[in-house]
Amino acid sequence: MKQYSLVIDHESCWGCKTCEVACKQEHRATDNVKLISLWEDGPKMVDGKLEFMFKINVCRHCDDPPCAEACPEEAIQKREDGIVVMNYELCTGCQSCIGVCPYDAIDFDEKRNIAQKCNLCHNRVDQGLFPACADNICLAHCIYFGDSEEIDQNLTKRKRTTWPHPETVSKTG
Amino acid sequence: MDKFVFSNIEREMATYGYDAVVKSHCRMCHGGCGVLVYTKNKKVAKIAGDPNCPINHGTLCSKGIASAQLAYHPDRLTRPVKRIGPKGSGKWEPISWNEALDTIAERILNYKDDFGAESIVMGYGTGRENEAVIYRFANLLGTPNVITAGHFCYGPRIATSIITCGTNPIADYENHPKCIMVWGNNLVISNPDCYKGEPFSVSLDAGAKLIAVDPRLTRIAARADIWLQLRPGTDTALALGMLNVIVNEKLYDRDFVENHVYGWDPFVKRINEYSLERVEKITLVPKEKIINAARLFATTNPAAIQWGVAIEQQVNCADNNRTLMALMGITGNIDVPGGQVLFQAPKIRNVGHFGAHRMLSDVQREKRLGGDRFRLAHNFAITNPKCVWDAVLEETPYPVKMLFLISSNPLMSRGNAREVYRALKKVDFMAVSDFFITPTAELADIVLPASTWLEMDYIGDFWKRHGYILPRRKVIQVGECRSDHEMLNDLAHRVGQGEHWWDNFELALDWILEPMGIKWRDFEKMEYIRGEVEYQKYKTKGFSTPTRKFELYSTLLEQWGYDPLPQYREPPESPISTPELHKKYPYTLITGARSPGFFHSENRQIPWLRELHPDPVVEIHPETAKKEGITQGDWVVIESPRGKVKQRAKLFAGMAPEIVAAQHAWWFPEKKDPGHGWDESNINILTDNAYEACDPAMGATHVRTLLCKIYPENKNGGDL
Repeated sequence: MKQYSLVIDHESCWGCKTCEVACKQEHRATDNVKLISLWEDGPKMVDGKLEFMFKINVCRHCDDPPCAEACPEEAIQKREDGIVVMNYELCTGCQSCIGVCPYDAIDFDEKRNIAQKCNLCHNRVDQGLFPACADNICLAHCIYFGDSEEIDQNLTKRKRTTWPHPETVSKTG
Repeated sequence: MDKFVFSNIEREMATYGYDAVVKSHCRMCHGGCGVLVYTKNKKVAKIAGDPNCPINHGTLCSKGIASAQLAYHPDRLTRPVKRIGPKGSGKWEPISWNEALDTIAERILNYKDDFGAESIVMGYGTGRENEAVIYRFANLLGTPNVITAGHFCYGPRIATSIITCGTNPIADYENHPKCIMVWGNNLVISNPDCYKGEPFSVSLDAGAKLIAVDPRLTRIAARADIWLQLRPGTDTALALGMLNVIVNEKLYDRDFVENHVYGWDPFVKRINEYSLERVEKITLVPKEKIINAARLFATTNPAAIQWGVAIEQQVNCADNNRTLMALMGITGNIDVPGGQVLFQAPKIRNVGHFGAHRMLSDVQREKRLGGDRFRLAHNFAITNPKCVWDAVLEETPYPVKMLFLISSNPLMSRGNAREVYRALKKVDFMAVSDFFITPTAELADIVLPASTWLEMDYIGDFWKRHGYILPRRKVIQVGECRSDHEMLNDLAHRVGQGEHWWDNFELALDWILEPMGIKWRDFEKMEYIRGEVEYQKYKTKGFSTPTRKFELYSTLLEQWGYDPLPQYREPPESPISTPELHKKYPYTLITGARSPGFFHSENRQIPWLRELHPDPVVEIHPETAKKEGITQGDWVVIESPRGKVKQRAKLFAGMAPEIVAAQHAWWFPEKKDPGHGWDESNINILTDNAYEACDPAMGATHVRTLLCKIYPENKNGGDL
């Protein structure tokens, strides 16, 4: 079975934060609660050159998710397709998951008293729709959804160098 | 993975139960991307990029996605209001559209009778595609005074490119430049004018070499093959240095230079005045780097320069643009695929025609405020804003009695904000059209509720130079809001201009499209229309300039009494031009780096966008912060000879320690007092707008570099 995940090409990321807002539009998370978030790595000197990158932090859908182990309510389950889903109905707000996440990818919604994380838009994926952040919204084309091994192998090939032009092009002037 | 398809409209509709999807054209910035607007229960439920749009190819930015939060914002003005207390008291009363427009019309007619049409000043900011309709109204009224951002944003590109080569040369990402030089621009954040970050990104992925010119490290600069980290404000000198290399190493396109440029010999003489030693001293960029960048740019064809507003908001505005065009021209990159193309618009009635510039009489045109001083701007119907503030405050050369500001917040976005405040406070009558009662609108007499892009039909990108027009289709109606186009069409009838306008604005769209033999109802069913694409048109037609050549030596600037060749001027305030002041204000302040989500003074009240940046941020080098006792997140006072404001410190090592980088146009809609914190963090409290500090030809206000000192807010009486 394919193991779905998001693969992010950080080298291409410009830090435009469109993914953050696309996620907000889909999930309407409480203000200041983020299921996907951007951070700045650098500037720092590396081999005499200033390096500066944007990094996207989002649930990695781990093979053995420590958050699922830690949750006393069994609110977090890894599906067969690899997606780690947190069931908010079952969350009691104990925050055990937040403490064990090695990637600091789980946020806490104080207003609703529940943990929140990226569920890889499983609601969309089950309908054959791309996750909101990966549905061709990124102007750098740096967010990929699919089987992580396949994406890694094909990342360079997947770089776009042409555009799909519409078939319904109007007459020119 | 076969079942997954980008932008799967059918499945979106089925999964979420949307009523409809409308293709439209976003206008949350100066850009304009194709969008899909999904509605549910007749309200906007989701906004996505249109994969068939040739501008953005399905991608979008944070502002576009968050548009529904703007349209349905609880603070949105949805009815006309009139002020019932003193100016700035924040006391408003709803009135009908009839009362609002009749009141404005009566004022216009009275001032015109008593003081002349020139006493009425129209204005917009960056323009929400209402530019042409505002100019039409002003020209038919007989006032030559329209204040816009045009003196220091985009207007200079249009003016300088028209006098150099006939139109604005647009970087042609569709054909993938092999080298891209990004000059003081962060298009992946701002998606400006004719450019989107997406096609630029794709050209880089296709292997383009990248040169970045910026005093501050952006991700573009970090990714660049060469980063030229120049001293702020020295762009013209750097470009002249690169031209020096290209000319003296004979790396230029000989055929183009021999056959298609005007003024080569005096131009070469001028650039030889800028030796690399001199340029290195001015710019602080090592000359080896200048040489390497010049060689890479000149020998990698096709190459393009990504340029924009940053270099225009300087005393060297016109010459910054002209030297970059010289680089494009002599390297043979003008009007070639993958270079810098002089695109042709579809054959419709263009913005100049619609703007009715020929309907303004010569007598009235000659009354343009500042027209005798800023003669390049004057010839492109552009007014320097200080001229208007002076005419309000000093009544010289004649009184300005009325301001009608449509989508403009000059209190936040023009130089010397305290002077702007005094003028807005004093002016006899002010009407504003906008989405919210902004700090500027708080000083108005009447405020009209303007439609967002979701609430109007329009010909998107009508004014642009990339050769496309795209239909913007009305999706929703909010309250009594009206588009600025419909509003002015109505007002025009009330001031006696009816014969030049239409019964409704759809008929105006028909009139614009008429030369193509189509009407709005036809166009709205199309994806877009593109003008004819043709390269190297100059080979048969020449350039649309007085000499029919690419004018390195500008015959028009010469005719208007300016140096026909580009020259470097030191910024009006700098360690070199004002050494005494520098002792008191030891840092160079740069302003206006773009933040995702905001568009100048807009969007601070949009929850999804404000949470990207809760506070105004000033970037300070860690060494400097340590010296000044500032730590990450501190509120810091930034002070110039004109005033002081505060922003929160972010330690950032991506620039020289003597540089401080502040954000612009910050106000706080959540503060409910009528000032909304307009002078707390507004960097234009610090900027200067003196005539001597403006570009002598264009009248651009030099707001991008100045001197400042910084200290923690709580240090010994440092509180604001």
